[in-house]
Amino acid sequence: MSGTLGRVRADLLALVPDLGTWWYAVALGPLLLAAVLLLAAGRRAAPPGHRVLHRGSMVAAGLSALGVAGVALDRPVLEASWIPSLGVSFSLRPDGLSVPLLLLTALAGVVATALHLHPGREPRPEPVDLADTDPTSPIPVVRGEDVPGLATYHACLLVVLLGALVAFLAGDAILFFVGLELVLVPMWVLVARYGDPGSDREGAALRFLLVTVVASSLVLLGILAVATATGSTDLALWAGEGGASLGRGSQLAVAAVLLVGLGLKTPVFPLHTWLPWVHATAPTAGSVLLAAVLLKLGTYGMVRLVVPVVPEGFAAWSPLLAGLGVTGIVWASLVCLVERDLKRLIAWSSVAHLGFVVLGLATGTQAGLQAALFGNVAHGLVSALLFVVVGGLKHRWGSADLGRRRAAVREVAPRLGLALVLGMAASSGLPGLAVFWGEIGSLLAAWSPAADRPEGWFRGFAVVAALGGALAVAYTVRVLREVWAGDRVEPRVPDAVLTERTALRLLGVLVLVLGLVPTLLLGVTAPFVEGVLGR
Amino acid sequence: MPDLPDVTWSDLQLPSLPLPHLPAPDLWGSPAHWAILATLLAALAGLGLTGRSNRLAAWVGVGGALLAFLATCWQLYTLTQIEGARRGAGTIGALPLGDLDAPLRLLVTWPLAIVAVTVAAVALVVQGYARWYLWYDPRYRPFAATVSLFTSAMLLVVLSDDLLLTLVGWEVMGWCSYLLVGHQSTRSAATRAASKALLVTRTADVGFVLGLLVLVAGAGTTRTTDVVRHWAEAGPSPALTAAMVLLVVGVAGKSALFPFQDWLPDAMEGPTPASALIHAATMVAAGTVVLAQLFPLLSVSGPARLLLAVLACVTMVGAAVLAFAQGDLKRLLAWSTVSQVALMLAVLAAATMGTGPDAALQHLVAHAWFKALLFLTTGWLGVLVGGTAMALMASGARRYRVLRHRFGWGLLALAGVPPFVGFFSKEAILGTAEAGTAATGGGFVPVLVLASVGATAPLTAAYCMRAWLVLSRPTAAQGHARLYEPDPVERIDDFFDEPQVVQEAEGVERAEAAISSSARMGTSALMLMTLFGGVVLLLPVWGPQAHVDLQLMAATLLLMVVSALLVRLAAGGVRTRDAAARIPAGVSLAAERGLHADLAYRVVVVTPVLALARAVAWFDAEVLDSWVRGAGVGSRLLGRVGDLTSPRRATPALALVLAGMLALAALGVVTA
Repeated sequence: MSGTLGRVRADLLALVPDLGTWWYAVALGPLLLAAVLLLAAGRRAAPPGHRVLHRGSMVAAGLSALGVAGVALDRPVLEASWIPSLGVSFSLRPDGLSVPLLLLTALAGVVATALHLHPGREPRPEPVDLADTDPTSPIPVVRGEDVPGLATYHACLLVVLLGALVAFLAGDAILFFVGLELVLVPMWVLVARYGDPGSDREGAALRFLLVTVVASSLVLLGILAVATATGSTDLALWAGEGGASLGRGSQLAVAAVLLVGLGLKTPVFPLHTWLPWVHATAPTAGSVLLAAVLLKLGTYGMVRLVVPVVPEGFAAWSPLLAGLGVTGIVWASLVCLVERDLKRLIAWSSVAHLGFVVLGLATGTQAGLQAALFGNVAHGLVSALLFVVVGGLKHRWGSADLGRRRAAVREVAPRLGLALVLGMAASSGLPGLAVFWGEIGSLLAAWSPAADRPEGWFRGFAVVAALGGALAVAYTVRVLREVWAGDRVEPRVPDAVLTERTALRLLGVLVLVLGLVPTLLLGVTAPFVEGVLGR
Repeated sequence: MPDLPDVTWSDLQLPSLPLPHLPAPDLWGSPAHWAILATLLAALAGLGLTGRSNRLAAWVGVGGALLAFLATCWQLYTLTQIEGARRGAGTIGALPLGDLDAPLRLLVTWPLAIVAVTVAAVALVVQGYARWYLWYDPRYRPFAATVSLFTSAMLLVVLSDDLLLTLVGWEVMGWCSYLLVGHQSTRSAATRAASKALLVTRTADVGFVLGLLVLVAGAGTTRTTDVVRHWAEAGPSPALTAAMVLLVVGVAGKSALFPFQDWLPDAMEGPTPASALIHAATMVAAGTVVLAQLFPLLSVSGPARLLLAVLACVTMVGAAVLAFAQGDLKRLLAWSTVSQVALMLAVLAAATMGTGPDAALQHLVAHAWFKALLFLTTGWLGVLVGGTAMALMASGARRYRVLRHRFGWGLLALAGVPPFVGFFSKEAILGTAEAGTAATGGGFVPVLVLASVGATAPLTAAYCMRAWLVLSRPTAAQGHARLYEPDPVERIDDFFDEPQVVQEAEGVERAEAAISSSARMGTSALMLMTLFGGVVLLLPVWGPQAHVDLQLMAATLLLMVVSALLVRLAAGGVRTRDAAARIPAGVSLAAERGLHADLAYRVVVVTPVLALARAVAWFDAEVLDSWVRGAGVGSRLLGRVGDLTSPRRATPALALVLAGMLALAALGVVTA
């Protein structure tokens, strides 16, 4: 049986053309080209209609996804001299750590460009003293429209993708940093210009920019410190040295600077407060990218720049990091019990999931790192799914306020309802869906952490994190009870449209597959983890 | 007292017959794979591929359950052909988690193989029944898919040889019960009950997860057999005790032991097939299976056994008392499930390594047959009379003769009357508890269990008798015949009024026409198993057993008869023949509300947690977030300051820049 499967797999792989480093052109080229074209088109007096823009952007993201898949299969290495005077090279080197995140980014890109930009609308008027009997009011089907600035919107999405892909592919610290920076401004534009007009767009965008720029500065500081100590910006070389060229004191300092910077991006408690604001304001596609891609840059950075590079410093800070992680789990889950805005609630649950990821990272064991990497990808899929659902609901409802009585989603929009149940179940750690394996792995690792970690503390953290798991079920039940169940069918809202359905199916199937066969992903990351911690 | 012969269980067991060696087809995977995968795929296909067709969904659901049933039956046969009767199988391959070994394997042994057959059979019956019961339900498809998933999860727990897989099945069952109980999501009562079931069980599961962590971390592997071997070799230790206590807490949640008992009766808001599935073979029985798999560890950790025994005994007796006072037949059966599951778990606490955990599994199997029968029959009658309240159910077994034997046999088995299946399993439990008493020289745990089982038997007989008296009350027509010889004084029944819904003329024909043949066949099969299931319990494959104390048996039977007679006496003179009508109204109302456990949950858990959550949300918004806001405001202010201090008009600024450039150039010229 397995022999046949292996043969089929080999045959299929043989069909893939061997493009070598040209795969990078396929992966990155369409994004760059389309972004430039869209920006140029947007500046014309009569920009093309929404269909052209939407499809063009989707094609670019799709092509790029194909390229990323090729990169993931072939894993070509590109080394080119870039700034020789500084010892910086343009090197792209995908490995077991980055391949899952590259694929996730490509997928999130396809989903994000496929979703329609829902133009901001006036919040639906409150019914006049008909608290229990909202009159039927027609809500139009969610379709694409000619929105001013649509070309810029799509260009921003593509640039975010481009930056994230570069960051994940980079084999050089400076190139990584360039990618990290590249995503910020387009994301800021997405939030500030295309965000929910009913909320404080300027404030949310400002928060985002301030926090992430501060974070980037810290990351740059850390990178420069390591680069001066090692005399190179090659990430593989950094990982190979394992902090040999830095003393204990400088390891501690560098780890602290990098962890604070990346912790702001991840975000780790107590640096998380910007996330719910930005998510509540960002357009749906922006939320999807933010959750599935941007937050991953923080955790990816930790694994790339901190864990192998300054191991001693990381080990010293890891009890604190794990403590903050589990505090974040319980903290965010508790807030979810009383949060009134559905989109913010999902953002809060992200903080809780990333708490598990950080806990797994901090344990310093292979099991913990594996669980963290798995949880990272799983969170990306699940939160993207949930933001597609919740963003759609918010647009249909006119706001995401849970305090208002609305039609039960299960009654009026069963497809969205099913996706919501799937997403919330996955988010609460239901086994058989992706998030579970990351969470249970983190717990297992936290119970028996690496030898140089304080075992008692980590066991305490595991207990707290397990309690957080129960709280996750509590807020899941709350959401389903308030949004999904019920007997009200007024005011009616349309069910998922084709693009939403496709996106939800894609993400849902992946969540299920990863949940049923976690070895698919764990097998990809295992060699990397062994390379980092098996020494 | 005459000298009674000494009978041991092995004397009663059937002789083992050599089975012919059938030519086994070389199938992919093992039967365990087939059973789990068939139901899992049926769940996925039922949700994803059946489109809008209820018929197709029914075929998928029933087909999956049928395949699982056949696979588990085949598994029984393969076990007879294997030396040592243990068969392992891999699943998705080991998880690459570094030092931690997570092979994710399955293992079949005799008792668990029989449990698996029971689970698959009950699931098959329930699927067939649900097709009829939810014929007009627009949400039949998700229901059937959830039932399939539920079955798959339970089979996974039963056949798992890996604590992670056990946890997977365990949690999936919790979610499935949420979906099934809350099936009619338009009713707020159903949604509320479903949320409660999930929250209560998941809260207790924190203990389960932590116990599992301790066990796995100590053994360095998640494989159950290795975990058991490791800890059994290490001997009793505080870590093991802590792990088992935590596991017992988790099991108490899932199996609705005190103080988590209240979710189960509320779960009656779900459709009857779901109740039958949750109560008979899955979910609540899962705790028994898991503790039986880990029995060698349980038996050496005293505090865990003590905790389990106390919780189970309190629940067993308390639930039996509460069952008597319920005004709804389904709720009566629910409380009886609480009591019977506690019985299974109590015997696990009382058993020793000498007797083994098999008595609990035997009772699990027996309970599955008769409880499924009782629930499905109740649902059938409920459809006929329009509800499951005792008032509506009165005379049901007389009006619809086809239900008479189903109810009668089910209740007799529940009460533990020979020769029904419940009798055998109860004797096994009594024997095991007594052996435990003898082995420990009258230790507290076995004595407590023995006393509680002894007290529960007559209580069970009492509520069974009460239910039977109401169900088999002479109908009005039969009553009219006796009208001319009236009873002295009729007691006014403060519980309920006469049934008005269905008139007497609608008799047997209607009852039979109302149900589909497959659903009817399913209940008939359950009925047969209720009567002849004792044979299964006497198979020579069950592990070492205690001897049967004939005196104890006689005493228990006597107690049961006395209590039944007392109930009959109490029922006399009540118009509806409901003995519970003699209970003061206040008491019976409190009993129906589960002694206000809801209030306790709310005061002890929900209110503090929500208060904490509000405090956290306030702190986050007002304190933690202030630095971010402060940064925003600060940078704006800084920008404003820069804006004010820099020149506004372009020309002077440009002039300044030019002047600076000139100065620089001059500097360059001079220094060069």
